[in-house]
Amino acid sequence: MSDLPVILCADDDDDILALVALRLRRAGYDVRTASDGAAALAAARDDPPAVAILDVMMPRMGGIDVVQAFRDDEALAHVKVVLLSARVQDSDRQRGLDAGADAYLLKPFRFEELEETVAQLLA
Amino acid sequence: MTSLPASAGQAPRLRLDARSAPASWAALGVGAVAIVVYFLLHGDAQTVWYEVIGAASVAALAVGTLRNVAAEDRAAWWLFTGGMTAQVLGDIVSSVYEIGLDKEPPVPSVADAFYLGGYPLLIAGVYLILQRRGGAMTRATSLDALVVFFAVALAQWVFVIDPYNHDASFTTVERLTYMAYPAMDALLLVALAQLVAVRGARTRASILVVGGVALWILGDELFAIQYASYMSGAWIDVFWLASYVAWAAGALDPSVRRVSAPPSRLVPRLSVPRVVLLAGALLIAPLSLVYEKAAHHHVHIAIGIFGALISVAVFARLGDLIRRYDRARDAERSARREAEVAQQLLTFQNQQLRDLDKLKDEFVSSVSHELRTPLTSITGYVELLREDEESPARREYLKIIERNAERLIDLVSDILFAARLQDGRLLLDLHPVDLNQLVSQAIDEARPRAEQARVELTLRSDGPVLVHGESARLSQLLDNLISNAIKFTPVGGDVEVALTRVGTMLRIDVSDTGIGISAEDTERLFQRFFRSQSALEREIQGTGLGLYISRAIVEAHGGRIGVSSEEGKGATFVVEIPALQ
Repeated sequence: MSDLPVILCADDDDDILALVALRLRRAGYDVRTASDGAAALAAARDDPPAVAILDVMMPRMGGIDVVQAFRDDEALAHVKVVLLSARVQDSDRQRGLDAGADAYLLKPFRFEELEETVAQLLA
Repeated sequence: MTSLPASAGQAPRLRLDARSAPASWAALGVGAVAIVVYFLLHGDAQTVWYEVIGAASVAALAVGTLRNVAAEDRAAWWLFTGGMTAQVLGDIVSSVYEIGLDKEPPVPSVADAFYLGGYPLLIAGVYLILQRRGGAMTRATSLDALVVFFAVALAQWVFVIDPYNHDASFTTVERLTYMAYPAMDALLLVALAQLVAVRGARTRASILVVGGVALWILGDELFAIQYASYMSGAWIDVFWLASYVAWAAGALDPSVRRVSAPPSRLVPRLSVPRVVLLAGALLIAPLSLVYEKAAHHHVHIAIGIFGALISVAVFARLGDLIRRYDRARDAERSARREAEVAQQLLTFQNQQLRDLDKLKDEFVSSVSHELRTPLTSITGYVELLREDEESPARREYLKIIERNAERLIDLVSDILFAARLQDGRLLLDLHPVDLNQLVSQAIDEARPRAEQARVELTLRSDGPVLVHGESARLSQLLDNLISNAIKFTPVGGDVEVALTRVGTMLRIDVSDTGIGISAEDTERLFQRFFRSQSALEREIQGTGLGLYISRAIVEAHGGRIGVSSEEGKGATFVVEIPALQ
């Protein structure tokens, strides 16, 4: 076990998941991955991360449902959440933030944007 | 050929009225003086003067008919002229008796033949006018006429005609002759009632004609009541003389050409004159009964007979009205049913449209998702590769891939944005925004592109200015306008962005020294997917959505956008947005 901040990434698109994980590892974080919402929730319960980066549209459990589950779980209520989505409607963003997400990033995003957001949430 | 609308002929007719009106006024004036003179004269002179007035009136009628009445309406006026001529001839025969033989003419005489022969002509004239007007011959107007006829006939019989029956001094022939006059008057009175009740154009001429007929009947009725004491030159003569004058003045008045004009509606309304007429007619039978009882006369069987006939006519008229009402109610009911069905259909179609709209939303949303997800991978990995790449040449190639991927992303965003605009949904998250700061940022972001295109990009601003707006959308607007200006300006050209305050508005001018826009393209520039001819010819890339989106953003901020340009000399886009105090 390292002392690096743990970041949980969940996305059903393997390419994007691998890219985000690689980037964050290079930036110096301890990264865990999950390829759907249910797996992400299980992983978080197993070992609560400092930040969770969740895709909104995932099979079995969407990012918004996962945020809600986090907020209802005492052990996970404090976890910072960044939602990623390709859905650009203002209503989608609002739903994510209402559910308790701390940030909402639109795909495609520049990696610097994601890194800055994570750094701010950890500060 | 189509007939001219009524108003087309109005102006010249009014001029004619103004010029020729004195003809009828003069006739009335001269007639009034002549009548006064008549009562100042005595003996034979008075008798001859009566004929002079009558003959002059007939002459005036003939002149008026020829000069003022339209050819197709003349028949009625020739009948009036003929009827009046008969009366004047009757007068002349009477005068021959009075002056030549020094006695009242016997009853009957040739004079009576002329007098009585004149009535049918006058009555026919009135009916010809009614026929020309149209509307006199409908079932409703005929029934109303019948009611009035029965009432008039009843009154004439009871009060005027029947008393001759009880005057033992008459021979049968005398009695029949005297009785013929009130009978003719009854017919004339019914014709008069219809003339009043069937609305035509209310003109001076029609009033004069109605007055002429009424005066004639009045004279006859008064004569019939006091025939025993009548002497030539008596005051009753004033009615017949005035009738001559009125009729003649009517014919001389230019408005006579409109006397036969059809009314605006053929089915009569129950107008006030019509209701008064019918109500009066209905009251005649009971009032006659009351009068006869009060005067202790024997009660005429005629009251019962005519009363019953009036009742039948009224009942028929009522039946018509009820049937008409029922039909209207049925029509209304079926119209309402049709409206309900149409309403249901509309609701159904509306729901279908809403479902389709939702489907389109979902489609746009999912297409956007499907396109943006692979683009995220492409740009992400290219960015990663570029950072790791040592070879400058390969870094340049990767940059090209990245730039094109970004263009694809912009395109997807614009299409999605335009699709949402199409639904009329551009909801802004409004906050006070410093437009000066946004313009500076936009210039800074565009500078690398300007440098690459070797275009001079300058900013002119009066300093910080606040608007009520959404900064992301305003930045999008500025980026669109500045990018366009750079794109359409050749190497060595200038692009200037100026921010100024004009009254309560903030004005942004984005001007370039580019290829410009033709006048016909300018009109369609802000339409969705429109691309100017010069852009297409020079193969300048674009989707035709930028200005469409720009206009929507400006309008959502309560502002307006426009362009002025001269082909080959550049263009200036002007945006005005209300300033925040």
